[in-house]
Amino acid sequence: MLKIEHLKKHYNNFFLDCSLEIMQGCVTGLIGQNGAGKSTTFKSILGLISIDGGNITIFGKDIKDFTTKDKEELGIVLSDSGFSGYLRIKDIIPVLQNMYSKFDKSFFIEQVQRFQLPLDKKIKDFSTGMKAKLKVLIAISHNAKLLILDEPTAGLDVIARDELLEMLREFLEKDEERSILISSHISSDLESLCDDLYMIHDGKIILHEDTDVLLSDYALLKVDEKQYGELDKQFILRSKKEVYGYSCLTNQKQYYMENYPKIAIQKGTIDEVITMMVRGNEQ
Amino acid sequence: MKGLLVKDFKLMKLQKNFFLLILVIAIGMIVFTNDVTFPLAFLIFIVSLFTLSTVSYDEFDNGNAFLFTLPITRTSYVMEKYCLGLLAGCGTWIFATILGMIATVFKGTLTITDLIMIALLILPIMIVIQAIMLPFQLKFGGEKGRIAMIGAFGILAIIGIMVVKGAKAIFNVDIVNVFNTLPTVSMGMAVIFAIIIALAILLVSMKISISIMNKKEL
Repeated sequence: MLKIEHLKKHYNNFFLDCSLEIMQGCVTGLIGQNGAGKSTTFKSILGLISIDGGNITIFGKDIKDFTTKDKEELGIVLSDSGFSGYLRIKDIIPVLQNMYSKFDKSFFIEQVQRFQLPLDKKIKDFSTGMKAKLKVLIAISHNAKLLILDEPTAGLDVIARDELLEMLREFLEKDEERSILISSHISSDLESLCDDLYMIHDGKIILHEDTDVLLSDYALLKVDEKQYGELDKQFILRSKKEVYGYSCLTNQKQYYMENYPKIAIQKGTIDEVITMMVRGNEQ
Repeated sequence: MKGLLVKDFKLMKLQKNFFLLILVIAIGMIVFTNDVTFPLAFLIFIVSLFTLSTVSYDEFDNGNAFLFTLPITRTSYVMEKYCLGLLAGCGTWIFATILGMIATVFKGTLTITDLIMIALLILPIMIVIQAIMLPFQLKFGGEKGRIAMIGAFGILAIIGIMVVKGAKAIFNVDIVNVFNTLPTVSMGMAVIFAIIIALAILLVSMKISISIMNKKEL
């Protein structure tokens, strides 16, 4: 669906070098701290900024050769941009109708009513939740094959986030070939939605793993100095000094559970994995 | 492109009160003064400037980034702005000219031929002004664009004055007088010539704008 090979972008004190791939029918998450390079990656995919190197292909086609017809197959949400805030939903409908040949007006209006979005109010006067829902709604209402969503849930309360994820799930259910690339820094969103996750830090991908594997095989080992000395470190990805000794991140929980029954093993959550991957020392 | 035009008309509709006010002022001037030509030019220029405001609306809250993820190209975006400028400008031009003609008939201060000639002279000026302003607006955005534009018009005015004065001083030709004494027939030719040149300038300006937009990082 989407393939990025060594995408390079250089800013004053930031260097992005990112490769990732989204398979057909998959939901792929991109996690990372603020300033890790998520938005730069998204903007590069969408051709909003020039890139210094690498290849980006969508549906097997280089994005440089992308036509407006190809763009119709994409649904986009950007965290910091949307339709002009001076427009109303009423104004946007004819615009979308004229831009997307497959725009589903009745679906769009139905969803607007479902989420009680005001037709006659300027978007700039919407609440954060309403704005976010409208953005996602625009992305999913023209039968896109690939959604590219940059922080669609940022700043939302739990209920609004749930509704938004529900919209995405419904979108996926309608056609098995649909895919999503989504970024967020709220890991629980990604945990429940994504098939696989990429972790980006300082412009580089530091981890790529299936969500299931991440949740089942990754764990934190909490050991004291002595235990740490005796520990077989071949499956330790990162370790970090703590007050009580060390905490170590592993991707082979089972191995340590069987061989070191006395060690305290804590099931890995995405947040912990991120923290350890970023803060911990490499083995 | 049609989608973009729809969007821009919706955005321009937001300013309908302001537009009505301008219209009232123009009609007021026609009714209460003997000058028909000034309100004519006033109306045409203001409306053609309205198209520029849509660029600012597009940029509001970083809206451009999202706009260019829609199924449009940067080239078609620029072309749409020029089309919009011409549509709004020419539309108002027709409307204002008819308004002027009605006023002329009632007041009898000018002949219809003179009025049409003046209206025809406004047309290339309007086109050239748009040709200058759009690249500035696209390059520098709403706020900085305005300042850059004032500078550009200042320079243009100085060049104009220098050409007139220079022609008089060096070649002893009074350009203003030449225009004034031009017979109506060749005046008509001059107008057609001016419109062709203005359209050529507009085309060059569009090329420049397209390259500005293509280089823009959003």
